[in-house]
Amino acid sequence: MKIIQVFVDNINFIGAVALFLIGLRTVVTKKNLIKRIMGLNIMGTSIFLFLVAIGNVTGGVPPILSGEEGVTYINPIPSVLILTGIVVVVSITVYSLSLTVKIYEMYGTINQDELTNLIREDDLHD
Amino acid sequence: MINQLPIINMLLFLATALIIPLLSRRKFNITLIFGFIMLALVMTSSFFMLFHIADNGAIIYQFGGHDSRIGIEFKVDLMAAIISLFVVGLTTVIYIYSCGDETEGVEQKEYGRYYILLFIMLFALLGIIYTNDLFNAYVFMEIISITTCSIISIKRKKETYAASFRYVMLNEIGSLSYLFGVALIYMVTGYTNIDFVSQSIQTIWQLYSINIIIALGFLIIGIGIKAAVFPFHIWLPDAHASAPSSSSALLSSIVVKVYIIVLIKLLFKVFKLDVLNHFHVSDILVVVAATGMIMGSIFAIAQKDVKRMLGYSSISQIGYIVMGIAMFSSLGLSSALFHIVSHGLMKAALFLSVGIIIYKKKIKKKDQFEGLAYEMPITMGVFTIAALGMIGIPLTSGFISKLTLGVAALDHRQGFLIIIVVLSGLLNVIYYLPIIISSFLKSEPKIYHPFKIEKVPWPMLTSVIILGIGILTFGIFPNLIMNIMTQAAELFGWV
Repeated sequence: MKIIQVFVDNINFIGAVALFLIGLRTVVTKKNLIKRIMGLNIMGTSIFLFLVAIGNVTGGVPPILSGEEGVTYINPIPSVLILTGIVVVVSITVYSLSLTVKIYEMYGTINQDELTNLIREDDLHD
Repeated sequence: MINQLPIINMLLFLATALIIPLLSRRKFNITLIFGFIMLALVMTSSFFMLFHIADNGAIIYQFGGHDSRIGIEFKVDLMAAIISLFVVGLTTVIYIYSCGDETEGVEQKEYGRYYILLFIMLFALLGIIYTNDLFNAYVFMEIISITTCSIISIKRKKETYAASFRYVMLNEIGSLSYLFGVALIYMVTGYTNIDFVSQSIQTIWQLYSINIIIALGFLIIGIGIKAAVFPFHIWLPDAHASAPSSSSALLSSIVVKVYIIVLIKLLFKVFKLDVLNHFHVSDILVVVAATGMIMGSIFAIAQKDVKRMLGYSSISQIGYIVMGIAMFSSLGLSSALFHIVSHGLMKAALFLSVGIIIYKKKIKKKDQFEGLAYEMPITMGVFTIAALGMIGIPLTSGFISKLTLGVAALDHRQGFLIIIVVLSGLLNVIYYLPIIISSFLKSEPKIYHPFKIEKVPWPMLTSVIILGIGILTFGIFPNLIMNIMTQAAELFGWV
């Protein structure tokens, strides 16, 4: 029972690490370039989840000062850090998607294996 | 006023990047001269800052006047001042080169865009050197990622797109694992400012040791991927081989080094020696560095393309720097800092002289260099000086960095590391010397005209000559910079 209790208490952190690993596996093993970009997004999201989970306080309310006493606020700084993080990950995604478009125009494929073969053939011609 | 200098330097670069598009209808030379003036201004102010900091201690700048617990803080210590001067100075030399090299695969209308990207990259490079905040460093890292990838892929060729896709993927894995490390540190300390994080880690690291070691692992791997430390190097040769020559020089001699500076900050400012010694980080780094030094050279021997060979050679040279850091001593760190500068000069000289050869002769393969020194004496002369520096021949700066690294290894009671340094130097001989021999000695002498220099644009020749003189100067008078580097390394509070 104790294990289940620990699992339930830390479900945010466990979920974040699981998502990070899923994303990492997608980036490293998938052959489709679009899927690899999706993997990066999953990795990014996992870290955002992790940061939100750090900032959360059980029973806390959003930190908007209302003048009432005895209210616990959650920590707003991680949420603010994530805003920056989201912008960064979006820009990286846009950039890599545009590269994928260019690769498709040049080589006619977005499969990593076919791409490697095409590049190797080009090298032999030089 | 002097406190504002770091941010003024960065804003000058950002302003340059914003003004260049406005100049697009004028003659292109105006843009070039404008950029050069800005670089010269920032270089002067970096010089001034270095002397100020050497006398009066670090400059601290708080954004918006907020307390550094809640705001972002810049802290320019001696190491940051030296490295920022090195970055700006070397970029100026490479900038001069790039003014002459107009045809290397970049289209006419893209010239302006290339310089916009260059100046935004410089902005972020200075930011990452100056900043005293872990999350802020992450943001600058991402700016560097996007701009460097664009600088690689600006050449509209097939292979550059594939290379920069691989680069962006691996870099992104690196930055995200860095961010995960920062999140784990924030979890136990509640700060992102390096000084406060370090204080709380010193008090609580035994309580939360699992958290700290996972964070340390994520941070070192993230930086390792970005700095191309050996097992994470696979993106580097492709990216450096397919980029335009001046970009290759920038990437190899500056961008990668800036991440090493972040690594130094993380190890010696955030975690400090107690934590690192408890987790045996030194041993791990020494093994990684030694493998990188040997394997990088072995891979380089197998390459036919010269620029790809230089890329692999960079991996082995980064091994030297990491080994200097892994000694965890003032001597080791100062040798690492010296090698950052000397490898920057040598690798830039190599890439730029190869760039001139590609510009003039359109050849890329190692075995096509036969008899080239008769036609291009200055280019091949600088190439030879830099290659001898890589091997570690006396009178070049490469010799001094290997010497200090060897002394640091003896001081650290790890004499066997000297064997690895010497072995790696010998492997360097195997791939650099055949090029030098075939270009200088193998040819029919009838095409030889003494005192006839090659006809290439003067900015390209000037910049490689400056680099060649720099390598020899720091080889003959190493104390010009060695003293101040020792001073910078001693500031880290070694026990």
